[in-house]
Amino acid sequence: MAFDIDKYTTNSAAVGWSDLDFDVFDEHPLPENTLRTLRYMCDIEYHTTCYLRDLLTTPSHNEPEVGAFMTMWNREEFWHGEALAAVLAKHGITVDYDVLKATRLKLGWKDRLDPIKQSVMGGLVGNDFVAVHMSWGAANEWSANAAYLRMAELEGNPVLAELLKRIAKQETRHVAFYASQARDRLKDSKKAQKLTRFALSRFWGPVGSGVQDDAEVTHVMNHLFAGPEGRKLVRDVDSHIAKLPGMEGLTIVEDSLEKRGIAA
Amino acid sequence: MTPRGTTAVDEFDVREYARTARGSHRAEIDGEAIAEAGLTPDAVHLLRVLRDLERGTLDRMRNLLVTATHKDARVTAFLATWAFEKYWVADALDVVLGAVGADTTPLSGPLRKSATERAERRGPVRRALAGNIAGEDIVAGHVTTGLVDELITQVAYRRLGEAAAALTSLVATLIAVKDRHVAFLAEEAEHKLAASARAVRLTRKALAQAAWPIGATEIPASDRTFFETFVFGDAEGRTAAARIGERLAALPGLGAEGATVTARLAP
Repeated sequence: MAFDIDKYTTNSAAVGWSDLDFDVFDEHPLPENTLRTLRYMCDIEYHTTCYLRDLLTTPSHNEPEVGAFMTMWNREEFWHGEALAAVLAKHGITVDYDVLKATRLKLGWKDRLDPIKQSVMGGLVGNDFVAVHMSWGAANEWSANAAYLRMAELEGNPVLAELLKRIAKQETRHVAFYASQARDRLKDSKKAQKLTRFALSRFWGPVGSGVQDDAEVTHVMNHLFAGPEGRKLVRDVDSHIAKLPGMEGLTIVEDSLEKRGIAA
Repeated sequence: MTPRGTTAVDEFDVREYARTARGSHRAEIDGEAIAEAGLTPDAVHLLRVLRDLERGTLDRMRNLLVTATHKDARVTAFLATWAFEKYWVADALDVVLGAVGADTTPLSGPLRKSATERAERRGPVRRALAGNIAGEDIVAGHVTTGLVDELITQVAYRRLGEAAAALTSLVATLIAVKDRHVAFLAEEAEHKLAASARAVRLTRKALAQAAWPIGATEIPASDRTFFETFVFGDAEGRTAAARIGERLAALPGLGAEGATVTARLAP
């Protein structure tokens, strides 16, 4: 089904939490490992700006629908960061703008060269490169959605669960956009399919890898996706990705768990 | 030279701004009343130029984000909201154009290609390379040029309101939206220019290379000329242009740049 961009932009809103009683965390603070995972998620949401930058160096944003989506998506993800930061703040963990800036400064040259690399690739490969971005975005949003829902279930704190479900609901709309864009761009181009398959199987990593310390990535993957239940969710994400034209048989998310030695 | 945050207190509350961002203006636009009152061809023309400029926001975002500006989380928090607001400003202008049955397609035609504006026409690769060399101090240039740009468009919206009584209330809303952009950018420019001599040098260079308003290099030459003449061409416009220059000249380390910008607003 085509993605209704007008409906999406009209309904796009900052995720709300003013009606949720965060004081519950004073009595029932979240455990250390959950806070560590939430901190990771928070950083990644704030980091969306850096993904936006990479997307903007490709020709895709000149299409009004894509530009409209990116504008709303970037803001919604920023608000996911703010919401999670508010939960962390209740536990004495401050994620202010200066801390985020420090993380970004730490990225160094790789981060500086990324837009150049992306742009050169975009220029060389042209429109087919947009298919890679859209498929990559779909894979990320599917995993984010699974991660939030899993976290809500694992922790069992009703206030946290409600917030995470609200965030996941917005991620579902992001999935819908990326997946419909990816499908459209992949179905008509064998070259786009080949390129996307190559990029996903060779370079895709869990959302946040490359930005966060490896130990943090492994912690989050273990926390959320270890064990049979977690593995099942990951396989669900992989099956969605595999349904994109030309992506049959890909198991990139499960592969990334295997690579990190996370037990099923 | 004290680092920001130790002595200077940020007055602009980015979180509050983000929380109270202005979304769609559609509910407040009375299309029928506007259609009945009608718009002059000049007002329609100005609306189309402004709409294209507002729609060009993502290009501007890209140009900022490929440099160290993307590392400044306070600035990127602002930009996420700013782009959202500008999206809905462009949407409002489209609704008005639609209400009077005007052409809503983007303007097209040959572009103005002057040597001084060559840097403005650079693609992302060259901008990223230049930005990497410039490093963190380039943020000062971005917020300062952004400030000038917002001041210019505020004048343009004011002129639009004068030319079209039916748009008075919408124009007042849009100017208020921009007031907060101006407030943030002015404060950031002030802090960043005061903190570093290199930031001042890079900002001077950015101002010397700028095409006004930002994004003008993508607007057809004839429409740019119309914009300059309509907004800044008469006595009132020249006064407004002079004020923008004065405001710029009052920023730390800047001075002569004020007059340069004023002169370039109405060539």
